[in-house]
Amino acid sequence: MRLPLKSGWLLVLPFLLLVGGLFLGPILNVLWISVTEPAPGFGNYAQLGSSDTLRRILWTTLRVCVMCTAFSVILGYSIAYAMVHATGPAQSRMLGLLLISFWISVLVRTFSWLMLLGRNGVVNSTLDALGIISAPIPFMRNELGVLIGMVHYMVPYAVLPIFAAMQSIDGRVVQASRSLGGSGAQTFWRIYLPMTKPGVVAASLVVFIINLGFYVIPAVLGGGKVLMVAEYISVQVLITLQWGTAAMLAAILLFGVLALMFLMSRFMKLSTVFGGART
Amino acid sequence: MHDKNFMRETLLQGAQAFQAGKMQRRSFLALCGMAGFASASVLAGKAEAAASEIVMWNWGGQSEECHQSAIGAAFTQDTGVPLKFDTSGPLQGKIKEMVDSGNVTADVCDADLFDAVALGKTGHLEALDYSVIDKTKTIDGYALEFGISIILYGYAFMYDTQAYPDGPPTSWADFFDTAKFPGTRSLYKWANGSLEAALMADGVEKDKLYPLDIDRALKKITAIKADTIYWGSGSEAQSMIVNGEVSMGMVWQNRGRSIETETNGRYKLVMNQALAMPGAYIVPKGNPGGADVMKFIATAQSVPAQLDLFACLGMTPTNPEAIAQMAEVDQPYSITSAANMPMIALNDPTWWGENTDAAVNAFLAAIS
Repeated sequence: MRLPLKSGWLLVLPFLLLVGGLFLGPILNVLWISVTEPAPGFGNYAQLGSSDTLRRILWTTLRVCVMCTAFSVILGYSIAYAMVHATGPAQSRMLGLLLISFWISVLVRTFSWLMLLGRNGVVNSTLDALGIISAPIPFMRNELGVLIGMVHYMVPYAVLPIFAAMQSIDGRVVQASRSLGGSGAQTFWRIYLPMTKPGVVAASLVVFIINLGFYVIPAVLGGGKVLMVAEYISVQVLITLQWGTAAMLAAILLFGVLALMFLMSRFMKLSTVFGGART
Repeated sequence: MHDKNFMRETLLQGAQAFQAGKMQRRSFLALCGMAGFASASVLAGKAEAAASEIVMWNWGGQSEECHQSAIGAAFTQDTGVPLKFDTSGPLQGKIKEMVDSGNVTADVCDADLFDAVALGKTGHLEALDYSVIDKTKTIDGYALEFGISIILYGYAFMYDTQAYPDGPPTSWADFFDTAKFPGTRSLYKWANGSLEAALMADGVEKDKLYPLDIDRALKKITAIKADTIYWGSGSEAQSMIVNGEVSMGMVWQNRGRSIETETNGRYKLVMNQALAMPGAYIVPKGNPGGADVMKFIATAQSVPAQLDLFACLGMTPTNPEAIAQMAEVDQPYSITSAANMPMIALNDPTWWGENTDAAVNAFLAAIS
């Protein structure tokens, strides 16, 4: 039996209302605050033109997020490649390890990195004891530290979509390329990589968007000098009470992500990226 | 709070059982429905019962136990009203949001006196009832219309005795002198205290700090930026020191003693030019517990409560009578003891209450 379209919509209506009320409501409220506090108008947005600080914070955020996305996706690609080509139990073990890393809280990771790579951390003190370095290498409390922490957090998010894309590739395509005289490198660059592109794009989008909101890792591993948008928004909401500025920056993030999705949609079908029906 | 947590745990366990196939879909959905209904009634019940308790909004951890034993126990004994806690941290933005939303669930916030100035002005706080609370049981100038200082914390610095074996640093001028005292330093990243320290290092008299010359302070701070890292919480400040990340680090003064003990005296607290900060109790507008909260604040001013808080958290009493009764061994760590008083600077809550936004944002712009 097939329900007519109308009653199907009725079934999802409560959830649509829930999403509308609990999700869109607050977002609209943020947009509203961004044009009404402290005075009606676009004064908050005009700050982007007049404030070097805001521009620098946005630029830091963009720079760190792009670098983190690139490293996470490259590492994620290699891990996914190894996982796809591993057999049975080995593959499950690898997947298990990957999923376990999702459960480790961001605070625990952050402090583990400090213990490992901090000024008196395991790595620095070992290198020092071996006489390789005379002064500790500054891995942490700077932009490098933020990148290490963020890439470590994001790699599993990059692996999963790429892994899914690789799994759906028919191995015979690769064999066909080889039997027609393609070298290993040619087969990878011209056959394998293009076929995994939806996975790579999905991974990049997911990683980049999650990165934009990072708060704890930059705050702690950056030593206060790597100020990203999320932390700045939190300070404006909680300490300086500049809610208009905070809402404006939140809106900029939102529009930035939407613009990114739009750009992507010009180049490829987003539904294939997110595992929708392939046409 | 606990009821809500219980519901959440029940649901989580249900969800796990459902995922593992140990629970039928139908039972799981029924559980979800019941939990939703039950939390609604729990929340309603909480609102009705609110008048029979005082909720303190603080930062949790050790301070919850300490406030309960030092103030809560005596207050409940006197009034029969229990003390409960919300440990999510009463930052200005959260208090403003709570009052604006009309759903006020806290009676008293363990906040800063400059919060009383900032939020009092905008109508987010109840005026204190000075017929119940005693204005004379605090430091001069720290009993304001919308808040009163109950304890003092402060900003001071600690140094590594092994880094500076001949001639340790003794002032903020030494702290900012990276030529004479090489090594990494740490400062508080939300401006407070860091600006005052920089000005004292630059030669401003400790009783002529306010109004703060922000530009002058930032010049001093950016001059040592390459050798500075910045902390956002007391535990972060502490770990920077005990893990050897810094040779000199700013700390919340009340933590200095435990760091000295923990490191067997390797790191030493310098009380000279410490900045005393008035920690204050403020009451959100329309607090559910009503006027009873004033009795609670009065209880916190009593000598036993003040001495207990010092023993438990290291926060210096503000009640002169309690200060006078402090043991000899505790005097060096009490920021307003007779020996320390001539060396320290006193924070001006009015300046900070009116200038926090400008100061914090200028500071963040300079260090990032």
